[in-house]
Amino acid sequence: MIEQNDKKLDRREFLFRAGKAGVSIAAAGTVSYLLYDSKGPGAGTKEEELVTLPDFSVSHQAGKTMSIVKGPDRTKTVDKAIELLGGIERFVKPGETVAIKPNVAFASPPMLGATARPELVAEVVRLCYTAGKAKKVIVTDNPINDPASCFTLSGVGKAASQAGADVVMPRDNLFRHTTLAGGRLIKNWPIFYEPFKNIDKLIGIAPVKHHHRAGASMAMKNFYGLLGGRRNIFHQDINTIIAELAMMVRPTLVILDGTEVMMTNGPTGGSISDLKRTNTLIASCDCVAADSFGCGLLGLAVSDLPYLAKAEKAGAGTTDYESLKPISTTVS
Amino acid sequence: MASIQRRAQRLESAISICLLAILSLIAIGIFIKQSGYNMSRFGIKATTSAISLQMLEADEEEITLSSLVPAGFNTLSKTEVYEPENLYEKINGKAPFYVESGFEELSTQRFVSSDVDSLWMELFVYDMGNVRNAFSVYSTQRRAEGEPFAPMRFAYKTGNALYFVHGKYYIELVGSSESSELLRAMAEVVRKIRANLAIDYDTNIDELVLFPEENLIGESIKLYLTNAFGFEKLTDTFSAQYKLDSETITAFLSRRTDQQNAQLIAKSYYNFLIDNGGTAKPALKKSFEGKVIDFYGSTEIIFATGTFVAGIHEAENQQVAEKLAEMLFNKLSDTSAE
Repeated sequence: MIEQNDKKLDRREFLFRAGKAGVSIAAAGTVSYLLYDSKGPGAGTKEEELVTLPDFSVSHQAGKTMSIVKGPDRTKTVDKAIELLGGIERFVKPGETVAIKPNVAFASPPMLGATARPELVAEVVRLCYTAGKAKKVIVTDNPINDPASCFTLSGVGKAASQAGADVVMPRDNLFRHTTLAGGRLIKNWPIFYEPFKNIDKLIGIAPVKHHHRAGASMAMKNFYGLLGGRRNIFHQDINTIIAELAMMVRPTLVILDGTEVMMTNGPTGGSISDLKRTNTLIASCDCVAADSFGCGLLGLAVSDLPYLAKAEKAGAGTTDYESLKPISTTVS
Repeated sequence: MASIQRRAQRLESAISICLLAILSLIAIGIFIKQSGYNMSRFGIKATTSAISLQMLEADEEEITLSSLVPAGFNTLSKTEVYEPENLYEKINGKAPFYVESGFEELSTQRFVSSDVDSLWMELFVYDMGNVRNAFSVYSTQRRAEGEPFAPMRFAYKTGNALYFVHGKYYIELVGSSESSELLRAMAEVVRKIRANLAIDYDTNIDELVLFPEENLIGESIKLYLTNAFGFEKLTDTFSAQYKLDSETITAFLSRRTDQQNAQLIAKSYYNFLIDNGGTAKPALKKSFEGKVIDFYGSTEIIFATGTFVAGIHEAENQQVAEKLAEMLFNKLSDTSAE
């Protein structure tokens, strides 16, 4: 039966049909190849277009890497903490542009402790202008919630503006893709880059908070705000991403505010009963050291937060903050 | 031969039609999937603030969050709606906790005082799918300093906030400051919710009455849907605190599908504790069927009775732990016998 059927197909016809099939397959393959996006939607940026955040750190001075100041008044404690490290003049030179990255992740009132306190941000801005003689200070964050609501309801936007800072809200055109050298998660990923591109110094300001996923949110986790895109996927490997943030962002100084600590229900909190007054503020050139001290305010050990050891191993700082001989004092 | 040719042509036509039909189905599938394209998954933030007012289901009625605005207040923001995929945009690191607890949707809106701009509150309505899920997120986050908020059973207030369970909803009202004016307004919002969402909100959690009432610390019962005490197989587990002989002590229970499963989970949990550094020790008084374990200085007790796995968790005093275990064992055994 097959033989009979095949007899109808002469050589010429066979070649013609085979040719047609070949052309069809080749055409489909070519179109598929041209349309194929190996990186998926939204994630593709050419290697040469990738950016890298500059290193904003300053050279370490023995015995002046970290200070711990006790006291209830954030304005006084931050003044003292920076003074103990050599004053803002050590970090900010006349004519420089400074970016301050407070934690303004949520549209919540200052009293809940989910965001950096406005008076603390304002005081650091003031110091940069008065003692540091900065040309320009910008205050910026890429919040979880609607940025305008976050800056308004947290009080940070108004406080920073009144102190003379430019408040920069995130917009799509301020993001660029980066790949962290030696990183596992930050690969061709959008970051909030443009505001930091042409600055000279970077200061982070973060409250000490419990964090449901990470255990704690402090100075290192604050820089999670620089990540764009669908950054929540990193919650699946929260310790690695926080350690990589410490590798990616080299701030000049971090201010860790433990005046009131969110002990539970973080990172959003919601009730004043989530807070505990510990009257402690840390200034540090070493993010890892600051957080290693800060976890104690939450009743945690360094070993309770695996990202600390990971960051230390990656060379981002030390968990042995005592080795830095932090300067401690109290201001009333 | 002609008939064979015709049959072959018909077969070819049929195969071609089938292939075209499959390709059409694939195209339709892609079209449907693309129409629900979630930009936030690919690095572009979806705008939540522009979403129109979200309706809440309530039997035959529908209400909007805006309709809940209390007297003397106005809406400060539009209703925002979040689903499991983008809940992190609102609550960041706490999102996995809700999603793992059955979260379906969050609607939020802010209300501000007509007279004082700095006096505002935010209403969070979490649709948790069912009352057990809602009770779980409520109870495991309950602030120890919270005061009961009558007349609701699962409700409490702190200096600036109200938290409660209403049917399948877990609801939070968070104020911008400690203010009697805000708390009054929050109470009005609660009244409106209760009036408009008539739901039997505390009748479906049978286990709540299974703990012995004597010495039970009010409002201490928590429901862990998964991973209770760090053991992943210990699901749907209730814990309750007791004040007994000056000791604060935690009891737990979990209703399983059948007796065999209860025995299996009890044995697995016992092995889990032993594998993690616990050591078996004898009971001081053999007043119940169960295992006693020394776990780094604290006492753990595990037993299975009927369809229940139950016991005592992290007790400092073994004698008191056994006393409470006996009370719980008897109550659960009586329940199983009924």
